[in-house]
Amino acid sequence: MKTKLDEINRNIYDIKNKDDYDFKIKKGLTPEIIEEISKQKNDPDWMRNFRLKALETYNKLPMPTWGPDLSELNMDEIATYVRPKTKMTGNWEDVPEDIKNTFDKLGIPEAEKKSLAGVGAQYDSEVVYHSMKEELLSQGVIYTDMETAVREYPDIVKEHFMKCVPVTDHKFVALHGAVWSGGSFVYVPKNVKVDIPLQSYFRLNSPESGQFEHTLIIVDEGASLHFIEGCSAPKYNKVNLHAGCVELYVKDGAYLRYSTIENWSKNMLNLNTKRAIIGKNAQVDWVSGSFGSKISMLYPMSILNGEGARTEYTGISFAGKGQNLDTGFKVIHNNKNTSSLVNSKSISKNGGTATYRALVRINENAKGAKCNVSCESLMLDDISRSDTIPVNDIRTDDVEFSHEAKIGKISDKSIFYLMSRGLSEEDAKAMIVRGFADPISKELPIEYAAEMNNLINLELQGSIG
Amino acid sequence: MILNETPIRTSKNYEINNINIADFNLPKTIKKFEGLNITGDKVLVKEEKIKSSLKYGNGKDLLSQIQNSSNINLHIILPDENEKEINVEFNLSEENENLVEDILIEAEENAKGTIIIKYMSNLKDKVYHNGQIRVLSKKGSDLNIILLNLLNTKAQNFISMENVLEENSNVKYTIVDFGGKNSITNYYTNLKGENSNNNINTIYLGVENQLLDLNYIVEAYGKSSNVNINVKGAIKDTAKKHFKGTIDFKKDCKKAKGNETEYCTILSDSAKSISLPMLLCTEEDVEGNHGTASGKVDEKQLFYLMSRGLSLKEAQKLIVRGQFNEIIESIPNEDIQNIIIKQIENKL
Repeated sequence: MKTKLDEINRNIYDIKNKDDYDFKIKKGLTPEIIEEISKQKNDPDWMRNFRLKALETYNKLPMPTWGPDLSELNMDEIATYVRPKTKMTGNWEDVPEDIKNTFDKLGIPEAEKKSLAGVGAQYDSEVVYHSMKEELLSQGVIYTDMETAVREYPDIVKEHFMKCVPVTDHKFVALHGAVWSGGSFVYVPKNVKVDIPLQSYFRLNSPESGQFEHTLIIVDEGASLHFIEGCSAPKYNKVNLHAGCVELYVKDGAYLRYSTIENWSKNMLNLNTKRAIIGKNAQVDWVSGSFGSKISMLYPMSILNGEGARTEYTGISFAGKGQNLDTGFKVIHNNKNTSSLVNSKSISKNGGTATYRALVRINENAKGAKCNVSCESLMLDDISRSDTIPVNDIRTDDVEFSHEAKIGKISDKSIFYLMSRGLSEEDAKAMIVRGFADPISKELPIEYAAEMNNLINLELQGSIG
Repeated sequence: MILNETPIRTSKNYEINNINIADFNLPKTIKKFEGLNITGDKVLVKEEKIKSSLKYGNGKDLLSQIQNSSNINLHIILPDENEKEINVEFNLSEENENLVEDILIEAEENAKGTIIIKYMSNLKDKVYHNGQIRVLSKKGSDLNIILLNLLNTKAQNFISMENVLEENSNVKYTIVDFGGKNSITNYYTNLKGENSNNNINTIYLGVENQLLDLNYIVEAYGKSSNVNINVKGAIKDTAKKHFKGTIDFKKDCKKAKGNETEYCTILSDSAKSISLPMLLCTEEDVEGNHGTASGKVDEKQLFYLMSRGLSLKEAQKLIVRGQFNEIIESIPNEDIQNIIIKQIENKL
């Protein structure tokens, strides 16, 4: 039944597309297309070869045999998506109503709306970005877009680019390797503490850069950084696949906090890969909120390579109507006295599916490792779905590991209590859901936390009561 | 041979979706088995085969072997509220090296009973066991099933279980999983009836190069149905243990509750413990919890015992035995308790 519906939808699209696109000559990704991208980007030779090799890997790897159903993804059409000079900019009129409404409700300025919807020129955050850039430069911090970094800092990029996330990892990361475009590059020199959070949002590139962006962050020994990716406003793109890649290198004694609030429009398949390699006594904290997209498969990963390396993950996902959010965290303990702390929450309502899928691996050499995982799922009605699929792989005897998970609904007692204090049922439930999300929102900078609360209120409207 | 698929797959790299038993072929001829000994209320046991297919089970090759060439077929009917006890003992040996059995247990309305099923072997023979146990627990019945795998560590042990619980019925399982070079357990319960209740208490012990793969799946359909999975174990040497426990709350199982805990004590650096405690949920009005933990023997306890003059090994043994104690003591037969305790002594 479901498949049939999909087919009907696709047919309708195909008819429309015939008029819109004039270059549907070849199906599938070819080396020629990759060469074209490379030329357009002014890639050095090594990057061109890298892309071509990634393409070979992409063609060899199978689609995943687990997780959400990706059959609606037409891989042949990716060629059309990634072809340079494609006019990705659409008309403001084409942006779906619900997205425009959300912009209004979140109080986003007019110019910014168009940028977020991928239909306008760059938002004037350029100014903010430049003044900040100068301050950073004086500390020796490099913060630039990925294409510039490839040209201007070839050695450091070459040493790190897709070494943390190899292209052989899975099909979509191979695709990313072949067609990546845009993204951020940050290098923080030894012992430099960057005290303002860097936000990728300050410098949205050209509208199409959001699809396959590459983020490479290197925090050198003893340095620290807070990086914020995305924003809580929905991002709308005509193309419905997002396969970005985030690589974080956090050297000995360094600290990185990586926060993400993502709210892709609800036609998007978000297949993103994020990974950190963490050195001796270094720490990476992930804060992650997933609200948007139709399907998400997103499992940030920490590799604790140095002795005493630490990581924390605080994540929330909110799956509403038609959404399948398959998220979680992966951690590999590779050295002595490493520790990890995972706190994940998910909410499902209105027929949405929220899955927590995770991996903890504690290797033989990780003596004295500690790991504590807690996940909670909240079901807001009985037409939704919530699954917990955590794999725990322990290979040493000198370890403390524990995992706990809970699943359930809002307790009637709590609602009764709040209602007896004069709240409506709807407000009582909303308050409890915000409370449930509180451990995550308090990890975010205040303006983001406020936006996240607004977002939760918005998502809850009409679903409760 | 690929066995014990989980109900939902996850990344292939985690090596947990299924288990691949290499370098082992199914025995081609299954001779008559003469190591069966039934005691207790044995009039309730008929030797007859009633064919059926399982929803999950241990893969099609093993299941079809049971369908087509089982050498033991038992049909046990517990008739009424007068409590019954049946002891079924299988002794595997060089003469009786292959056991392929099909056991059907039916508990009539309000029936009560305890059934102890024991698999034994000597220390050296490479015996083979492939069995299935089906349980149909009718309204208000109360069943206590004790399943003891005390085979040697060279044996091949495969077992598939399927339980269907009608309203207000109670099925309690106590599983001791000690034997087998490969010991592969597929356990499935369908909590079909309102207020049905399934308790599973398992202890396992993996030594040498044993591989234990436990795949427990419980689906809650009935309103106010209840499941408790409580698994404790220890592994040492190069033993590997995979525990996959799934509680699946199906739509409309309102007020259902599910609890799942697993604790694995790791006694060596080369032992490997993988666990996958899954909670699947399509009903809002439920309570589901799971917890797993792994780790070394508690250092404080060790210190205490060693300061009393025990060696490290003795102290570890005592602590693991202590963890198993509650489950061992719940077995209503002192001889069996002693056999289990002796095996723990020998293995650790």
